[in-house]
Amino acid sequence: MITLSYIGRNTFLEAVNEKSGTNVLECYQCGKCVSTCPVSQYMDFPPREIMQLIKLGMKNEVLMANSTWFCLTCSACSGRCPREIEIPAVMESIRHLSIEENYINDSSKVREIRKFHEIFLDMIKRYGRNYELRMMAEFNIRTRNLFKDMNLAPKAILKGKIPLSVKPVKSAKAIKRMYKLAEKLEKQHS
Amino acid sequence: MKKLTYFPGCSAHGTSEEFDKTVKMVMSALDVEMEELPDWNCCGATSAHTMSETLANALPLRNLILAEKLDNNIMAIPCASCYQRLKVTKVHMDDNPELAHKINSTVVEEGIYEGKVAVKSMLQYCYEDIGTEAIKSKVTKSLTGMKLACYYGCLLTRPKAITQFDSPEYPVSMDQIVEALGAKATEFDYKTECCGASFSISNTEVVIRLSGQILEMAKESGAQAIVVACPLCQSNLDMRQPDIEKHTGKKYDLPVFYFTQLMALAFGMPKEEMMFGKHIVPVDGALANIGKIDPVPEKIKKTKKAVEAESEVE
Repeated sequence: MITLSYIGRNTFLEAVNEKSGTNVLECYQCGKCVSTCPVSQYMDFPPREIMQLIKLGMKNEVLMANSTWFCLTCSACSGRCPREIEIPAVMESIRHLSIEENYINDSSKVREIRKFHEIFLDMIKRYGRNYELRMMAEFNIRTRNLFKDMNLAPKAILKGKIPLSVKPVKSAKAIKRMYKLAEKLEKQHS
Repeated sequence: MKKLTYFPGCSAHGTSEEFDKTVKMVMSALDVEMEELPDWNCCGATSAHTMSETLANALPLRNLILAEKLDNNIMAIPCASCYQRLKVTKVHMDDNPELAHKINSTVVEEGIYEGKVAVKSMLQYCYEDIGTEAIKSKVTKSLTGMKLACYYGCLLTRPKAITQFDSPEYPVSMDQIVEALGAKATEFDYKTECCGASFSISNTEVVIRLSGQILEMAKESGAQAIVVACPLCQSNLDMRQPDIEKHTGKKYDLPVFYFTQLMALAFGMPKEEMMFGKHIVPVDGALANIGKIDPVPEKIKKTKKAVEAESEVE
């Protein structure tokens, strides 16, 4: 059951509005975003419901939902929104809030999506560029699914579609420093 | 001679080598000198903006600042995702001084961002800066007979406020380019539907469904092949096509070309250099249509009224 979790000032709504640079209160619940969204069917709450939950200040429900992790940032919703709300920016701010405040959706799909992004960022930290083959291999190892895409990988490698090596950036130090400074900056602000 | 800074992006050295190579070929044919951005780094792609607001802007920013050290005032990017990330950061840096200062404090070695260089996708550059007329003038081997579904995906035209290019719902720039090459662009309704993008690895079933719908609609439009301007769209539609066929039980047999591969082909460049061998779905069937002329449609019988109207004009 969902219960109303705030009385008085809706600080959650204020935080989302500030972070996303939009005004969620503009939403009048027409649902065009839901019919446009290519992945709404996988979401605990489709975009329209997320908007309403934010208005009601239901922080826990919003930050624990898988919705933001399924959002592909394709911007089809915002392009058709009659209130011109940047819905992907809203989705992104609640994702960042859930990371900052440690709200962890523990479903296996969200875990896998999150793992993928972590590995990708790790590749850039290490090489300054993406190392596709290593990224795929690490994803399979870290999600304990060793044979994923094994019907595809050998053909793709043979055709030269996925190269075996990567050409890293020369200023690897500059990238590592950037990561450090970015982390520090985000800690200051959260 | 035109000059530009070229940002290849990670996939140019991997999954989309053929895009990189054919971009270089057609640009030199069109008298554009491309200077590759020295020591460019990954834009951060979907992962950076998913996980960290700061990295999402810092990684592209380093490239934007490096680009200002060269003399060119346009940086063109073949990959739709790289293009979008660099353009988003550029808009943030130009419009939000407070955020700009914050982000620039994480990119120390490279200096201060000034905002001198415009960022364009390679498709946008071809359409706006070169133009379909100039492209048409280079065609020596017309692609007549080919019917192509032009697929743009999400990031080349959306969000409108960021990209400022073509229509977010029914773009036509790529259609006009392939028509300049002599091919026919089909009426294709799924031009800007999402292919599933970075879920290719972490959430494959979503890609199978979304890319499957795009293949289905492209086939229905009468196309013999799909044309794209994005490496991730290409790999989802091409590399995943056998999986999708297994899933739907249908045979699509739709090769997925980069628009620059077709430009190179129409410019009469040797076929071996377009790296068609890297495609998972074989391209020969679709290319065999070149030069074939459609049977002339039966003459539509004129109504009495139309005949009368014509004679009145005379």
